[in-house]
Amino acid sequence: MAEDLNWAVGGEAGDGIDSTGKIFAQALARAGRHVFTSKDFASRIRGGYTAYKIRTSVNKVQSVVDRLDILVALTQRTIDENLDELHEGSAIIYDGERSWDAEIPDEMTAVDVPLKSLAEEAGGAIMRNIVALGAACEITGFDVEYLDEALEKRFGGKGSKIVENNKEAARAGQEYVQENYDLDHLGYNIDTTDNDYVLLNGNEAIGMGALAAGCRFYAGYPITPATSIMEYLTERIEDYGGHVVQAEDELSAVNMSLGAARAGARSMTATSGAGIDLMTETFGLVATSETPLVIADVQRSGPSTGMPTKQEQGDLNMALYGGHGEVPRFVVAPTSITECFWKTVEAFNLAEKYQTPVFLVSDLAMSVTEQTFPPEAFDMDEVEIDRGKLVEDDEVDEWLDAQGHFRAHAVTEDGVSPRAIPGTTDAAHMSTGLEHDELGRRTEEEDERVHQVDKRNRKVETAQNEEDWDYREFGDPDADNLIISWGSNEGALIEALDYLEEDGIDVRVISVPYIFPRPNLTEEIEAAADTIVVECNATGQFADVIEHDVLTRVKRINKYTGVRFKADELADDITDKLTEEVPA
Amino acid sequence: MSSDVRFTDFKSDKQPTWCPGCGDFGTMNGMMKALANTGNDPDNTFVVAGIGCSGKIGTYMHSYALHGVHGRALPVGTGVKMARPDIEVMVAGGDGDGYSIGAGHFVHAVRRNVDMTYCVMDNRIYGLTKGQASPTSRSDFETSTTPEGPKQPPVNPLALALASGASFIAQTFSSDAMRHAEIVQKAVEHDGFGFVNVFSPCVTFNDVDTYDYFRDSLVDLQEEEDHDPTDYEAAKEVILDSDKEYQGVMYQNENSVPYHEQHGVTEDMSEIPDGAPEDAMDLVREFY
Ligand SMILES: Cc1ncc(C[n+]2csc(CCOP(=O)(O)OP(=O)(O)O)c2C)c(N)n1
Ligand code: SF4
Repeated sequence: MAEDLNWAVGGEAGDGIDSTGKIFAQALARAGRHVFTSKDFASRIRGGYTAYKIRTSVNKVQSVVDRLDILVALTQRTIDENLDELHEGSAIIYDGERSWDAEIPDEMTAVDVPLKSLAEEAGGAIMRNIVALGAACEITGFDVEYLDEALEKRFGGKGSKIVENNKEAARAGQEYVQENYDLDHLGYNIDTTDNDYVLLNGNEAIGMGALAAGCRFYAGYPITPATSIMEYLTERIEDYGGHVVQAEDELSAVNMSLGAARAGARSMTATSGAGIDLMTETFGLVATSETPLVIADVQRSGPSTGMPTKQEQGDLNMALYGGHGEVPRFVVAPTSITECFWKTVEAFNLAEKYQTPVFLVSDLAMSVTEQTFPPEAFDMDEVEIDRGKLVEDDEVDEWLDAQGHFRAHAVTEDGVSPRAIPGTTDAAHMSTGLEHDELGRRTEEEDERVHQVDKRNRKVETAQNEEDWDYREFGDPDADNLIISWGSNEGALIEALDYLEEDGIDVRVISVPYIFPRPNLTEEIEAAADTIVVECNATGQFADVIEHDVLTRVKRINKYTGVRFKADELADDITDKLTEEVPA
Repeated sequence: MSSDVRFTDFKSDKQPTWCPGCGDFGTMNGMMKALANTGNDPDNTFVVAGIGCSGKIGTYMHSYALHGVHGRALPVGTGVKMARPDIEVMVAGGDGDGYSIGAGHFVHAVRRNVDMTYCVMDNRIYGLTKGQASPTSRSDFETSTTPEGPKQPPVNPLALALASGASFIAQTFSSDAMRHAEIVQKAVEHDGFGFVNVFSPCVTFNDVDTYDYFRDSLVDLQEEEDHDPTDYEAAKEVILDSDKEYQGVMYQNENSVPYHEQHGVTEDMSEIPDGAPEDAMDLVREFY
């Protein structure tokens, strides 16, 4: 872990913090280093503190830690907000010419660089962040050529002059530090490798998964942190003959997606928190009309408008139980950025195979975090498409009743009916949110009602038997201590294992990507001396579900500060929990 | 099968449960005629219905259809049309469904100019919930929830459509069968959002806006007034006229370009490859 470098740039929202961080992250990825990024941001466009943090190593990194080595601080608040994480060896790059008098603790290394003046000399004050990146390269012994590549990628579209100016700005920062400071004693030295990595976040992975899976229609209403899925698809879906509609609200978004799905398109919508509430009425319609639809909930901190830019895993109950009546559904929750891709593909297949709504539950931490992967982690040759019981013209006959009506909601053994999309000859039929018979026509007849309810629920049973709902496992499979997690906590847990190992504590980690149906963990929990469920919410929604399944009390680690788990902090929490009494 | 389609091919064998004499019978017949006359057949038609007595229409018609949740029929229709520009989309609902709970969607479907036909069965009352005031009820119309009348002016759906940038606005009377069918046909033929407000009397709960009332008061724009629907100013005048109510095509923008064409959507989105698209690895390399 010592070979890690933790770097951050912070300032006011609107200072270009995000793009500065991203350029550095890309440069590091280009240099064959692993990168894991995180963001601190407030729900304001201007005037709020914001920071982009990078943890990088030649080894895989999949979590944040409580340590900051190099900080580019454009404001005093950036320093103040990060004091906890700064240490004696930290270097803080700031612009002493600016009006604020930077207060930097004595034990840290203050690197005063005239960012603005140097940027102006290179062609414009706007490049002061790039000057800072150049300075950071010098402090960390990182070859600026990689930064050049990232600048070309970033500004290539704006012309060679802009690219050259930026490179010059970076050089100016680098040379300034070279000439005015001797920082070798800090010991930072960024090694590079020959690896090629891609750098992307969870929402990009969901969007990419959707395109790979054949999603052609997306309707959504902007909401943090789901919007970037829509932005990703907007730029690309038309290349595949698809379209994105920015709807007037979430009610419209989910109904548009439903319409497109009924018309035969693989269709999806995504939202967060409040938007999920608005869509809930339509979940029932999706389920009763047996429409294949993927609905992504990128969770943020609630309730109500809560903390829109903060992490939480508080919508699990909503995804499991939201909606009036009893609604069969699948709830799939990716546990990593690569899983965001693969589970999205799977969600589309599940939706069509079982003609149900599939919730794809992600969270803010995963959605904004960028991480490096070998491109093979998203090997498109592995993508398989299963459209389920989509009937062709020549198969329609099998499903007609004596009067020639298409039995779109036929009661079948596996609970799945034939699906005919508009244009299929002689299969015209209606579907409705009302209880209906096999033809989709309204009924309140007792037997019909029971048949249809059972049929819809049977889809879940069938899927339970036919699909793989297994968990992922890390750590020591024979350990007495069992940790259970869902969603984006996985990375932090895996890294926490290293810290725990140093202290001689063995744990088995089970990371559950399927919330419903989900693996039965009875044996695993019974075999363990101690079970702890880790999640980012206050009440332990997943722990409740597990206790209900297994009829055993579990310990809980809950974080609801709005900030994701950090590996080192989580290791401490686990150590503490292990000594605690099991709740009665 | 389109060449020999008859309008009855759009009829399902389910007996309507509408009250005898309900205006919705006539509305539905006109919609079926319009679909048949424009060369559609049940296999290439999608009917989306709202919730209300009016929304039951999807059950009594025969086509691909979805009967959704209250007020959200237009977004469903939009999704169908975007995914399948080859499919004829017809959306139906009531005045409560369309102008109250669904009013937001109405404005946006109109301004998007999605190529579909929207028939609102305007009976100026909530029929299915047994007689409460609707957004088009008169301000002194007494109902169970408004014993002294709503005491607020009714929504003028035609004006709402006009203000939202509608490309086709018409009003019909379900009992004037031929004229109603003819106008709905024009809406179906229109390239863009064809909006038809259909006076469709509720014989059970509304004793003010009755067949007699409409028969006596409605003025036919084309047959009696020589109204030119392509004249925007003239359209504005008849739509905002508070003294008279009209039947006919109020407004039609001849240069209307439907949403899917504006956005270059031409493909049948139901067709997708068996695995990831061939060039899909480019999606990954983009992040290099
Ligand atoms: C969300 C929701 N709220 C309320 C209802 C109850 N509801 C059913 S139909 C209706 C009003 C229907 O009025 P209108 O659209 O004018 O149609 P009509 O029955 O008059 O044809 C209401 C309020 C519902 N189904 N869903
Ligand atoms: S209550 Fe009114 S609107 Fe409903 S079916 Fe009867 S007449 Fe028609």
